[in-house]
Amino acid sequence: MTLSIKDLPQEDLFGPGNAGCRGCGAAIAGRQAMKALGPRTIVSIPASCMATLSGSNQRTAWQVPFYHTLFEIAPAVAAGIRAALDAQGIRDVNVVSWAGDAGTADIGFQSLSGAAERNDAIIHVCYDNEMYMNTNGQTGSQTPLYAITSNQRKGKQTCKKDMLAIMLAHGIGYAASASISHPLDLIAKLKKAAARRSFSYVHILTPCYRGWGIPTDQSVAVARKAVECGLWELYEVEDGVRRRTYEPSFIPVAEYLAPQGRFKNLTADKIQEMQDAVNRYYHREEGKA
Amino acid sequence: MIKDLPVVPSAKAGSMAAAPAGAAWREQHPVIGTACNQCLECTLFCPEGALVQTGGNMTVMLSLCNGCGICAVECRLQAIAMVREYTGVSGVFPLREEKV
Amino acid sequence: MSVMLLTGSEAAAYAAKLARIEVLSYYPITPAFPAMERISKFIEDGELNTEFVRVECDHSALAAALGAALAGSRTFTVSNSQGLLYMTEVMYHVAGLRQPIVMAVANRALSAPHSRFPEHGDAISQDASGWIQLFCENNQEILDTTLQAFKIAETCRLPVMVNYEGYIQSHTQEEVDVPEQKAVDALIPFNRIAALDVNNPQGINTVTGPEFYMDYKYHQNEAMEGALKVIPQVAREFAQVFGRDWQGLVEGYRMEDARHAVVAMGSLVSDARIVVDALRNEGRQVGLVKIRSFRPFPAAALRSMLSAVDMVTVLDKNIIFGAGGALGNDTKAALYGYRSLPVKSYICGLGGRSVGTREIRQMIDLAENRVEQRRDYEWFGL
Repeated sequence: MTLSIKDLPQEDLFGPGNAGCRGCGAAIAGRQAMKALGPRTIVSIPASCMATLSGSNQRTAWQVPFYHTLFEIAPAVAAGIRAALDAQGIRDVNVVSWAGDAGTADIGFQSLSGAAERNDAIIHVCYDNEMYMNTNGQTGSQTPLYAITSNQRKGKQTCKKDMLAIMLAHGIGYAASASISHPLDLIAKLKKAAARRSFSYVHILTPCYRGWGIPTDQSVAVARKAVECGLWELYEVEDGVRRRTYEPSFIPVAEYLAPQGRFKNLTADKIQEMQDAVNRYYHREEGKA
Repeated sequence: MIKDLPVVPSAKAGSMAAAPAGAAWREQHPVIGTACNQCLECTLFCPEGALVQTGGNMTVMLSLCNGCGICAVECRLQAIAMVREYTGVSGVFPLREEKV
Repeated sequence: MSVMLLTGSEAAAYAAKLARIEVLSYYPITPAFPAMERISKFIEDGELNTEFVRVECDHSALAAALGAALAGSRTFTVSNSQGLLYMTEVMYHVAGLRQPIVMAVANRALSAPHSRFPEHGDAISQDASGWIQLFCENNQEILDTTLQAFKIAETCRLPVMVNYEGYIQSHTQEEVDVPEQKAVDALIPFNRIAALDVNNPQGINTVTGPEFYMDYKYHQNEAMEGALKVIPQVAREFAQVFGRDWQGLVEGYRMEDARHAVVAMGSLVSDARIVVDALRNEGRQVGLVKIRSFRPFPAAALRSMLSAVDMVTVLDKNIIFGAGGALGNDTKAALYGYRSLPVKSYICGLGGRSVGTREIRQMIDLAENRVEQRRDYEWFGL
């Protein structure tokens, strides 16, 4: 069954009034995700942009229970919430830990790995802006090769850690990548995750205009280019079966990389190196854009 | 005067919508033109949920919009135009490139 | 009621079972692990209907407990020493969120150098964390205090640490009167409060600015001060039902007409009682003040206990480097401006160094025979 925008709830369970920067990719991901998850959802978010833009003093932009956790603990907290709901016989509530790339892949990785290994019935969402944007954009493990950050002006010299591969190595039943440029794909994946009573992992590309050096109106457009050039593959692995959920048109990677300030140091050689890597990955002819 | 606060530091659900911050520093806002076919795609790309379908029309809730311009870029029919706010000199005398 | 031969660990486990905890979370550590294993056995044997979150570290243990508490469940955990230090960030967070989690702590020395032996340094490291801290002198008190801790925590909306020393108490069997379930149910009924509730959604712990943060902290401290009333009240209610009166904040033992008071907490107290009895038999006017509540610190109650003595000797199984023993410092602070009398402070028993009746007596003699301490505190037993 294909999802249609017209079928989605109009009600916003997250978003209105949030204090995100203009064109915030994370806020867009939050709005899209809540169209899938619905009102019977509890969200734990560690220290991050998303936690900060979600609430301030006596106000919050969430319509569902939201808890701003410590940096390392969102999945562990979610596991505890699930345990309490089970103890109280409450079965129809989604428990989501929603972390940035740091709260997922770096400082939050231990508790995430623990929850995945235990197969706790929670959904972990990584909204990935590929830098530590809540502290001005330093390098993290999800920062891609060569990207300039606020503490690596010459660009990162190592590759982005493949979180989906790592999470799949835990033997979890459902893992997927997603992009804010493809909302119906994203929403369908979260609906699948929510329908399961086991650990699920969804990794969403959420550009940040400040960190990426793009105009505020390009957050979605640049995410789409990441998908279309093949650098951000949209796929899911459901009970061990891998499926690409969107076939990219294979625009040149340069069209994705060149407009971004964080890649301004990239030479033609390095762009070609990345194009070659994409071609190899998708078994496309060498040299073909 | 000590404030009367909830025991658990907490906020009422959805309360940010009542006092949105972004609109205060908005520099431009979308205007939806007649080309709009109400495909609703823009509603999923707005970070604030400022674009809503009401009574068969698309409406921009200006109290929420912070003027990022994503909706105008993403609209396949180019039915959305970003219009500058009154921002002092640049509002009174539109920048050169905006002159038609 | 039935009398059983239980270790301190088992006493804590029985209390958790009698409290009908809904969620349990812990990460194994020595010497706290027997308490953990005992509760898990209750669950596996079907004697306790509790969800167990088998976390991957101590930090997550308290995080999971916190998630469960926020979702409205009665929650328990166990830890000590390095585990407690690793949890520290979450400790402050739990207290700030006012969640009534109860934690049993089998006190153990902190690394480095590596030690797995008893002292109070781990608990003392959390003295500013906002947790209520109760210390137990024997296994019966561990069980009884853990039960009381749930009532104190849920009344004050504050987390409670129940401290007992590793090995000395955690691994040593004593006769323990285990109460009937029905009586416990009546004493500590559970009133569910869920901060995270889909039927009443709220945003918890939103970013808080200077205009609110300090007021939250004021209210948190008021709750801690309020515990000074709640702890004795719960002890009285408990005594009325079970006949064992642990006196709440402080207990004076043979303090009538005492000239010299020994102040101590934890396992030292039971040995100090024997020493005081012996000294009394010799005609020496020595009494004992047991500190049961270390946080909140019962300054007024302690002052009133010490209102007529000529000198005070404080025994500390901890050291705050460059500042002395925590109990010694707090005792002096409580007396300052009210009474001017010599307070001798001894650091003893660190990292499992033996402190028994002989050593306690030596410290009392030392204190009486030496007019001035070389420093504000002295080390005993080197």
